[in-house]
Amino acid sequence: RAKAFATGRIIIEEEDLEEPLWELEMALLESDVEMSVAERILENVRENMLGETRKQVETTGELVESALQDALLDVISVGQFDFQRRIEGAEPPVVIVFTGVNGVGKTTSIAKLSEWLADRGYSSVLANGDTYRAGANEQISEHADRLGRKLISHEQGGDPAAVIYDGVEYAKANDVDIVLGDTAGRLHTSDDLMSQLEKIDRVVDPDLTLFVDEAVAGQDAVQRAKQFNEAAEIDGTILTKADADSSGGAAISIAYVTGKPILFLGTGQEYDDLERFDPEELVDRLVGE
Amino acid sequence: MVLDDLGSSLRGTLNDLRGKSRIDEDDVGEVVKQIQRALLQADVEVGLVMELSDSIEQRALSEDPPAGTTARDHVLKIVYEELVELVGESTELPLEPQTIMLAGLQGSGKTTTAAKMAWWFSKKGLRPAVIQTDTFRPGAYDQAKQMCERAEVEFYGDPDGDDPVEIAREGMEATEDADVRIVDTAGRHALEEDLIDEIEEIEATVAPDVSLLVLDAAIGQGAKDQAREFERSVGIEGVVITKLDGTAKGGGALTAVNETDSSIAFLGTGETVKDIERFEPSGFISRLLGMGDLKQLSERV
Ligand SMILES: Nc1nc2c(ncn2[C@@H]2O[C@H](COP(=O)(O)OP(=O)(O)OP(=O)(O)O)[C@@H](O)[C@H]2O)c(=O)[nH]1
Ligand SMILES: Nc1nc2c(ncn2[C@@H]2O[C@H](COP(=O)(O)OP(=O)(O)OP(=O)(O)O)[C@@H](O)[C@H]2O)c(=O)[nH]1
Ligand SMILES: [Mg+2]
Ligand SMILES: [Mg+2]
Repeated sequence: RAKAFATGRIIIEEEDLEEPLWELEMALLESDVEMSVAERILENVRENMLGETRKQVETTGELVESALQDALLDVISVGQFDFQRRIEGAEPPVVIVFTGVNGVGKTTSIAKLSEWLADRGYSSVLANGDTYRAGANEQISEHADRLGRKLISHEQGGDPAAVIYDGVEYAKANDVDIVLGDTAGRLHTSDDLMSQLEKIDRVVDPDLTLFVDEAVAGQDAVQRAKQFNEAAEIDGTILTKADADSSGGAAISIAYVTGKPILFLGTGQEYDDLERFDPEELVDRLVGE
Repeated sequence: MVLDDLGSSLRGTLNDLRGKSRIDEDDVGEVVKQIQRALLQADVEVGLVMELSDSIEQRALSEDPPAGTTARDHVLKIVYEELVELVGESTELPLEPQTIMLAGLQGSGKTTTAAKMAWWFSKKGLRPAVIQTDTFRPGAYDQAKQMCERAEVEFYGDPDGDDPVEIAREGMEATEDADVRIVDTAGRHALEEDLIDEIEEIEATVAPDVSLLVLDAAIGQGAKDQAREFERSVGIEGVVITKLDGTAKGGGALTAVNETDSSIAFLGTGETVKDIERFEPSGFISRLLGMGDLKQLSERV
């Protein structure tokens, strides 16, 4: 301590951290980061800072904030990969299945991604594994018509795995690069529907499973991400409706509990409203200026 | 699960107080902290949580528990009363002719709720009709039509129309014989100015007796700004919380009710037309806090 003092530095102690950590926890909660996730991240920050020294010109608050920024970047950068390169490296047809709870934007994201892929020279076929919801076939078929894509669909009540399987057969027979398989929205509390999802995953054995959730989601994001990942292991997440929400802490919660990257952001209802996710931009929005 | 842990840590704190008849400031502080955690984990807006916990703390310290009441029961009663005060009773919906407009974010459950509510009114002996004004979302017409077939209720929509206001006007005329007209609208959020203008026009055209904001139970802190904007643009008389069959606690509805000075009308608990319930405060509050029947306790105290 004497030595630190002599060099003009101050040792950071427990009580110096309390206030700034509490303020940052509230800030994270206001941004929809799930509470246990926020607490675990801040606990790491606390442990790293304790006993560290600071220059007299710095405040502990500033140091904690910048340590949190680093910690958040660590969480949100987890497993980032180049989506296009991943597709390039897989044996065609590359099969991508979309999962998630009701109404988050799976079907719309499929239409968007099909366009994103077309812009990069890849052909795709849509397969409607939502054989349950009213109007599901009409919805995706209108997207397919507008985009000029082939759609594989069955009657309502049909077997979702069989539809996507047919999509794969079609792609093989017609040299289509990518199969985009939709699934019906389901809540993670429905045992029947979650085991149906496991079955789809087993039968189709997709190259990629993308979990779709919305940026406006709050604390529940952790529960569903965890349980969807357990039922049919995901490779990454698409976070939709980012245009409705300026903070998007759900991204942190989801990346933290799944250990899988956020790949795309949905930023509107048009086909080109799909952006590559940028971890640094999100962290700046969460704790930045 | 994390949420259950919290419910039980709240219970644990309260159990520590069980035997005490007087509580000191530290005890109250500890309980209030646990209540804060529970509310934050239920997605109640941070500012509102702080307001609520402040008044709970003040009351717990200033009011004397009635004779024979433990400190724990006293605090719980205050918590329950404060929350009941905020959410109020279920939105009043008289069983008589009326027009109800549904508004809300993309994918929150408006179309499903329209069919569910129509089913609910038909079971009460009224004749409902659903008017679909969503010309934007692909398949919206077919979705609403099929849901109305399942609910066995009248439906109006125009699969070729592209002007929601025009469809709303025609729909009101075409469903003149119905008692209760439920107007579904396309999804939109607070930042979409064009779409907010559009729903203002629909509102002016159908002149609803009641406008309901349909909210996903999982919505986070954004509920506040969204509710405020819908209140400003069309006026909100009630909130519907959907997807309560999941694990989300629906605290966003509490935020919205506070923001719009309204109440909760219905709860959605599944995807079929029958999965609808009228709101009932005590069950909702128990779910919010992850605790058992607080109403009973509150009445006993
Ligand atoms: N503002 C905005 N709206 C979006 C976005 N993505 C999807 N939506 C809208 O959200 C609503 C639901 O989208 P869907 O694609 O039908 O969602 P889903 O997950 O397939 O829904 P289910 O199949 O019913 O589970 C639609 O109104 C979409 O237009 C987005 O990034 N921003
Ligand atoms: N599990 C469950 N699903 C629900 C509930 N209410 C609606 N859904 C589902 O949520 C999804 C979205 O519902 P919609 O009724 O299409 O939502 P919307 O608000 O009309 O969507 P837009 O018109 O695109 O804005 C669908 O998959 C519905 O089946 C509910 O209470 N529980
Ligand atoms: Mg869908
Ligand atoms: Mg709709």
